[in-house]
Amino acid sequence: MSRYILLLLINLPFVALAITGIITRFKMKRISRRRASIQLTLWFVLLSGLVLAEPTYHWLFANNFTDADSLSLFDVVQITAIVFLLYTINSISIRLEQTEKRLNDLHQELSIKLSSKK
Amino acid sequence: MTRQKNRICIVIPAYNESQVIYDVLTNIKKALARDKKHSYEIVVVNDGSADDTSLEAKRAKVTVIDHILNSGAGGATATGLSYAQQHNFDAAATMDADGQHKPEDLVRGVEKLLSSDVDLLIGSRLIDSKGMSRVKVLGNKGLSAITYLIFGINSTDSQSGLRVFSKKALACLEWKARGYEFCSEMLWRASKIGLKIDEYPIYAIYTEYSKSKGQSNWNGLNIVRTLLARRLSEIFR
Repeated sequence: MSRYILLLLINLPFVALAITGIITRFKMKRISRRRASIQLTLWFVLLSGLVLAEPTYHWLFANNFTDADSLSLFDVVQITAIVFLLYTINSISIRLEQTEKRLNDLHQELSIKLSSKK
Repeated sequence: MTRQKNRICIVIPAYNESQVIYDVLTNIKKALARDKKHSYEIVVVNDGSADDTSLEAKRAKVTVIDHILNSGAGGATATGLSYAQQHNFDAAATMDADGQHKPEDLVRGVEKLLSSDVDLLIGSRLIDSKGMSRVKVLGNKGLSAITYLIFGINSTDSQSGLRVFSKKALACLEWKARGYEFCSEMLWRASKIGLKIDEYPIYAIYTEYSKSKGQSNWNGLNIVRTLLARRLSEIFR
């Protein structure tokens, strides 16, 4: 199997999960249309990069824009790690934001409820 | 037929203010008692103080909300205003606990807000900055200029703690900052949701105590840094 196809197959689940997550959050009105469209654009750009990696390399090589070797197995691992990190950072930042808001609301409500019981 | 009095909630966020809070509250209560047009409830939000702020405030016979954790001026103000909203007050006002605001200015602000269509009224110390040190004037003007640059909000005193809120503002105004940077962020959020903002001149009293408690210009720098980070993080929202 071509390494470019391997790269695409390994990374596709992360990209699909990220895109599904953005659409779900938008439909559930947790994020604005603007934020959703910017995040979707970023992930689609990344997906196009993965899909077009092989033709882009061949085009660059054929036109003497690069003389680098084609994708190695180590490159596949490295790129996958970067995509995975991007996905993880995005998920963590969303969770952190939600947790911070919940904690603040809880602290606020608890303080008010306890003060009225005295 | 007697006109029903407007119910006003006075929110005072306090952190380690046991030295002065009793006197400050007593003075406010005296001034508010003279205003027969409205009925007032004073709510002190003790923001996890390490001293006897809560006990001193209770001694002054006002409502005290104790924060279990110290969450900053922004968090304490949010709790107080949430209390006002939950208890269906007609308006609310915030004041500093160090005694730098004159209760008469508060009453004037409440009157001005209730007789207009303004949703958020800011008591500006800088329209007439008499009594303020040059460093304080410079620091506050600088922060107001930075608030304008970052958020596009034009206010002569974006950091003022004396603010009056309409019922509409109580229902829909929210902010994320927990520290002092909430002052600027609140103006931005209010403007974003279409609330009408106005200012009126107030006079600040600077005692040795309030000078020692006030924000340093270094803290001002920290506020700028946090505001910038907040604005950048919300560019894509």
